[in-house]
Amino acid sequence: MKKKKKLLTFPSIIVLTVFAILPLIIMLVYSFQSDSGSSGVTLENYTNFFLKSVYLKLTYRTIINSLAVTIISLIISYPLAYFMAKKFKGLKNIVMILILIPFFTNQLVRVYSWLIFLQDGGVLNSFLQSVGLIEGSLGILFTQGAVVIGLVHAFFPYMVITIYLALERVDNSLLEASSSLGASKVRTFFQVVLPLSMPGVVTGIMIVFVPCLGTFVEPRILGGVNGTVIGTVIEDQFFEIYGWNFGAAIAFVLFAMVIISMTGLSRIGRRYDNE
Amino acid sequence: MKIKTLLSLFLVVILVFALAACGGQTAEEEGTDEPATLTVVNWKDYGSDNADFVAAFEAENNCKIVHVYMSSEEELLTKLKTAKDGDIDVCLPNCTILPSAINDGLLLELDTTKLTNFDSLYDRFKVQEESFKDGKMYSVPWVWGSTAIAYNTDEIAAPPSSVSILFDPEYAGKIAIRDDFNDAVMLAAIVLGQDPNNPSDLDAIKAKLIEQKPLNKTYWKTGDEFSKLFAGNQVAVGLMWSGQAAFMKQDGQPIGFVVPEDGAIGWVDTWGIAKGSQNPDLAYKFIDAVISEEFQYDWASTGGPAPVNKDAGEQIDPVYAASCGMDEESLNRLYFMQYRTDDVKKAWNELWTEVKAN
Repeated sequence: MKKKKKLLTFPSIIVLTVFAILPLIIMLVYSFQSDSGSSGVTLENYTNFFLKSVYLKLTYRTIINSLAVTIISLIISYPLAYFMAKKFKGLKNIVMILILIPFFTNQLVRVYSWLIFLQDGGVLNSFLQSVGLIEGSLGILFTQGAVVIGLVHAFFPYMVITIYLALERVDNSLLEASSSLGASKVRTFFQVVLPLSMPGVVTGIMIVFVPCLGTFVEPRILGGVNGTVIGTVIEDQFFEIYGWNFGAAIAFVLFAMVIISMTGLSRIGRRYDNE
Repeated sequence: MKIKTLLSLFLVVILVFALAACGGQTAEEEGTDEPATLTVVNWKDYGSDNADFVAAFEAENNCKIVHVYMSSEEELLTKLKTAKDGDIDVCLPNCTILPSAINDGLLLELDTTKLTNFDSLYDRFKVQEESFKDGKMYSVPWVWGSTAIAYNTDEIAAPPSSVSILFDPEYAGKIAIRDDFNDAVMLAAIVLGQDPNNPSDLDAIKAKLIEQKPLNKTYWKTGDEFSKLFAGNQVAVGLMWSGQAAFMKQDGQPIGFVVPEDGAIGWVDTWGIAKGSQNPDLAYKFIDAVISEEFQYDWASTGGPAPVNKDAGEQIDPVYAASCGMDEESLNRLYFMQYRTDDVKKAWNELWTEVKAN
């Protein structure tokens, strides 16, 4: 019986090996080779990355952006997931479909929609002008703000879903017990609901923060002259100057950052699992 | 234990199939080897694969033209390096990779007396620097174009006389240059009076580009992106390709295109004969046909890039020619993009990244 179960994982193991682990190893080998043609193992790509302030600056900008996207997504997602799990009854499925729509939209279509929506003289601009909130042009397109908006739209559904799943597993009788013991609604939330839903929050943060680090389409299109992030630097290395080796090295620095943040987050998550 | 055996079996099967597939392909290629086949490497839908032209050439020379498409200049270099004798007859390297191809001995030395239309070329293309090595010619220029100033004719009445309009605070927020290290460095070099192909002071160029940065609405990446911003009145002036500007004009947008007096960026595509070609005579005939007056006029006047054939160039409606920078005056003002070593590309790209990160 056990053997049979193991056999079922076989296809996925092969797919992972051939399409994820092998390419990673190839990339790792690239990252230790020189772009200037000399053969042999070299650390020059990594020293170049860490010694030039420009790459560190862009890395910092990328992390700040991703943190902003993650925090905003969390602020939007938690209440939404809470109401879906605990308050909405029949509406739940409709809300879920509405949240999932961005998944079914092509990435470029989604980004270009934001471009049109946010541009000066665009839909949002005209609306804010007509209700008298602003005069003149909005000026939000081609800023980091526009990038964050675009990324939040792309990633917050993941957060809603993971938190929703965690909240749904919270037994309602626990909430009743809490209130019958005299706890206020606020206290029940902070002492019962929130700790029990933390694994969902941590998973959500992981699923949003990690892919944000590597995005290049939203920054490129919505960020204008200030849209450069570490993802666009990698893209330029591969497509503009065929600097595969340096590009691979930057990708691995990014990969290391992902591993570190995942480890940290899963530590935090485990603490709540034990309770 | 069993899983391991299965895994290794699987890998063996995959390997065998992969090897078999490789072998099969070469065998096939050898099988279809006909005496009068001319293999042409070019971009897709780029003039030489025009059905009418191909049919006429095949009928006249009793041969068959086979097109192999490339998707980048680097890919063409790889194709030439890995091809066996006879795999490729003619190919279209541009000036940025031409010296690599010639230095690696991938192209045949040309005898221009075999090209009846060579004399009709503009003089400057007869002596195109990159086509030569040690005084011998290895490729023939075919078409050219420019990256220069596109401007909104409703907002800017007279054609700008200098690329410095892109550095003019008067148009702050209405400028868009391309997100491209080569364009950016060459542009700043022109403004600073440095040689755009061998700039002497990269720090000054970086400072100039950083100064210019806040004036941009955005750095555009695709022609379509620029077109939308231009149509929506978000951008009034920018650095643009001649072909895209002509297309936008046909589309009814109020766009003007000019190669200003202090110059702009140009490119040239050239035809060469691959070293191992088995049909060099046919290859000469092919090149002669595509640089002929008829071919060049037909293509250039129906939306193609600018011709190298002077007789063809002079037949084109002067208003149309000037509107997409195809006239001789524009031609003489251009700085043609030259071959760059990997180290130069790397340095320029890093400079541009620093500007964007600033």
